[in-house]
Amino acid sequence: MRTAAELKFKESGIISEIDVSHPSSKRIIEHGFTPGQIIEVVNQSLFNDPIAVSIRGTLIALRKSEAFCIKLK
Amino acid sequence: MRTDLSIKVPLITLVGPPNSGKTTLFNTLSGKNYKTANYPGSTVEYYTSRFLAKYNLTAELLDSPGIVSLLPESIDEKISVESLYSHPSLGTPDLLISTVDSCQLSRHLLLPKQLINSGFNVIIVVTMNDILAKRGLKVSESKLSKALNCDVVVINGRTKQGIEKLIDTINSNFSRNNETGKKSIVPYSYLHDKKDLVDTFKEIEEIINEVYEPLASKENINLSLANNELKILETKISNNGFSPDEITLKIDSVLLHRFWGFLIFLIVMGITFTSIFWLAQPLMNLVDELFTNLNSLVINNFDPGWFTFLVSDGIISGTGSVLVFVPQILILFLILGLLEDSGYLARGAMLIDKPLSKIGLNGRSFVPMLSGFACAIPAMIAARTIPNRRERLFTIFIIPLMSCSARLPVYALLIAYLIPHGNAWMGGIILGGIYLLSMISSIVVAGVMNKFTKKLFNADDTSSFILELPSYRIPKLSSVITNTYNSSKQYILRAGPIILGFSLILWFLTFFPNINPEVEKTGLTVEQTQNLERAERLEHSYASGLGKIIQPFMSPIGMDWRIGVSLISAFAAREVFVSSLALTFKVTTEGGDDQSTLLNSLRNAKIEATGEKLFTVATSVGLIVFFMFALQCLSTVAVSKKETGGWKIPILQVVIFTSLAYVMTFITVNGLRFLGIQ
Repeated sequence: MRTAAELKFKESGIISEIDVSHPSSKRIIEHGFTPGQIIEVVNQSLFNDPIAVSIRGTLIALRKSEAFCIKLK
Repeated sequence: MRTDLSIKVPLITLVGPPNSGKTTLFNTLSGKNYKTANYPGSTVEYYTSRFLAKYNLTAELLDSPGIVSLLPESIDEKISVESLYSHPSLGTPDLLISTVDSCQLSRHLLLPKQLINSGFNVIIVVTMNDILAKRGLKVSESKLSKALNCDVVVINGRTKQGIEKLIDTINSNFSRNNETGKKSIVPYSYLHDKKDLVDTFKEIEEIINEVYEPLASKENINLSLANNELKILETKISNNGFSPDEITLKIDSVLLHRFWGFLIFLIVMGITFTSIFWLAQPLMNLVDELFTNLNSLVINNFDPGWFTFLVSDGIISGTGSVLVFVPQILILFLILGLLEDSGYLARGAMLIDKPLSKIGLNGRSFVPMLSGFACAIPAMIAARTIPNRRERLFTIFIIPLMSCSARLPVYALLIAYLIPHGNAWMGGIILGGIYLLSMISSIVVAGVMNKFTKKLFNADDTSSFILELPSYRIPKLSSVITNTYNSSKQYILRAGPIILGFSLILWFLTFFPNINPEVEKTGLTVEQTQNLERAERLEHSYASGLGKIIQPFMSPIGMDWRIGVSLISAFAAREVFVSSLALTFKVTTEGGDDQSTLLNSLRNAKIEATGEKLFTVATSVGLIVFFMFALQCLSTVAVSKKETGGWKIPILQVVIFTSLAYVMTFITVNGLRFLGIQ
C-alpha cells in the first residue's frame, strides 16, 4: 500500500487510513488527516524532507518519517 | 475598579489552535494590558487580564497556550489541557471562548467539539471572516450554533466588528447559566481514543457542509450570479474544506523551491543576522555613551566616597550593561516578528529541519538559535515554541554556544591587539572567521552531546515535525510592535535584576576593602589621579584576592591573575571584560575606554613572576577561544534555570562549557607555542 511519504511533487491521493501504531499518528489525525481526505504534495525542501502537503485547504509541513503513517487508497 | 472580594469574579478562558486569531481577540478585549502568570512548577505561561472598561463586563480573562485538541502529548500540553479543567490559582473557568478560523472550520472545529462533548460552557468565536468574504462566503452563526448547540459569534479582528455582539452573548450566557446552574464537566480521559478523533472529524465534515453561505453583496446580484456562487460553493468546500490560498501556493513555488528555496532562506537569514548588528550598533553606542556620561557626571559632582562609587560604578554602570542590549533585542524581535507574521518563519523551520534533525535538534530550534547570536536570554525564551521536550531542552542547552553580541567588544579589542596597523578588512575577516568557527564548533558540540541527551534530559524521544504553514499575508505592524515591546520588557524584567544585582556584587568585590588607596598625585590631573586610585583599589580588592586564588589555573594557559580578575568580572556581562582589563592594567587616560591607550598598556604588560610578555599572539588567540566556549553570563544561567525548571541543566552548561573553554584555550595557547608562535 502506498503512503503519503511516497507521493511525488504535485501528486495527490486519498487517505484510506492512518497507522495508529505510529507515535505521531495522534498529532497527524488532529491536524485533519482522516480517511477520505484528499492530500497533495505542494512543495519539497532541498533535502526532500520534510514535505508540504495540502489538507482541508491548509498547508502542513511534516517529516517523511511521519508522512509514512498516512496510508493511501 | 474595586470589586467586593467575597463575590467571585467569573473566569473566562480563551482557547484555540495556533493561527486562529486567539491572541488578536485577547488583545482586543484586554487592551494589551495584561499580566503574565506561570503555571506552578512549569514553564507554561498564561496571560491574564480584566476586560477593558468600555465593555462594562467584570470578568477575569485568561489567554491559554494554543492547543489543537484536548488530547495532550507533551508535558506542557498536558498542563495546558489540565488547566482548562482547573487552573491551580484561578479555578475552573465559567466560560470558554473557543476561536476558530472561518476558512479552516474543517480543522479548527475539532477543539470546540471536544470541549462541548466534555460539558464545558463554550462560546465559539469565528474569526477572519474578511478573508472568507474575499471568497464570496460567510459563516452562518445560527446554523453553526444549532449544529453544535452552543453560542456562536462571527467577528472581524481587524475592524473589531462583532465584538459588541460577543460581549452581549457573554452577558446573556452568564445570566442563563445563573438560572440553570453549571453543567458538570466530563474528565478528559473520557476522550482518550484516536478513533474518537476520526469520528469527531466526520461529524465536523457534516456540519461544515451546512454552515457556509454565499455572501450577499450590497448591489443586488442577479440570479445567475447567485447560482454561480452556489456552484462554486459546492465544488470548493465539499468535505475537503477549501482549496489552499492560490497566492500562497504561487509564492511557495519560489520560496519553497527545491533549490532556490534554501538559497533564499540563507539570504533572508543572513540579512536578518547582519541587521541585528548593523542597525543596532549606533543605538547601542548611544546607550553606552549615555551611561558613561551619567557615570562621570555623578563622579565629578559628588564627594568621591564609597557611596558615590556605589551609585556611579555599581548602579549606573550596572543599569547600563542591562540596557545596552535592548536596541539589539528590539531589532531582533521586530524582524523575527515581521517574518513570523508574514508566514515565512514556519517555512524557514521546514527548510532547516532536516540538517538540524541530524544533530538531535528540530526545525523549530532554528529561530531560538539565531536569536542566540544577539542574546541568549530572549533565545531561551523563544525555545518555548518547540513542542518536543527533549529537543527544547537540548536547544536551550546549546544556545550559550551561539556567539552572543556581548562577546563582540571582547573580540574587537583582541583583534585590534592582534592587528596593530588598523587593517580594517583583516579584522573583518578574522571576526567572520570567529563566527564561522563558533558555528562549526556548536554543531560539533551539539552532535557529540546528542549522544548523551537521552540520559541527560530524561524525556521522551519521539521527535516530530508537523507544522502548519499559514497563508502569506502582509504583516500587521501594530501587533508585531506590541510583541516586540513585550519581549523586550520580559528581557529587562528577567535579566535586568540579575545583571544589576551581580554588577553590584562585583562592584563590592572590586571596591572593598581598600576604599581609600594612597597614590602619588604630583603632576597628574584630577581624572588621572582618580583612575590611578581605582586601579590601586582593584589591585588590593577581594576580587584580586579571588584572582590570585585562580592563578594556578591561569598559568597553564599563559595568563595571570589580572586576566583572571577580568574573567571573573565578565560573569556579570561579558563585555565588562574590556573595562575591567582597562582597570586592571592601570589605564590612566581620560574616559578610561580609549582603546589605543589600553592596547599600549596591554602590549607592555609582563607576567609578574617571570617578566615575560603577557599578551602574546598565543594568549590573545587563546582568550578569543575561551570566550567562544565559556558560559560566563549569570543572567543566562538564571534564565536557563527558569526555562528548564531546575538547576540540572544550567549547572551542566556552566561546568561543560567553561571546562571545554579551558581545555580548548589550553590546546590553542600551547599548540601555538609549540608551532613557535608566541
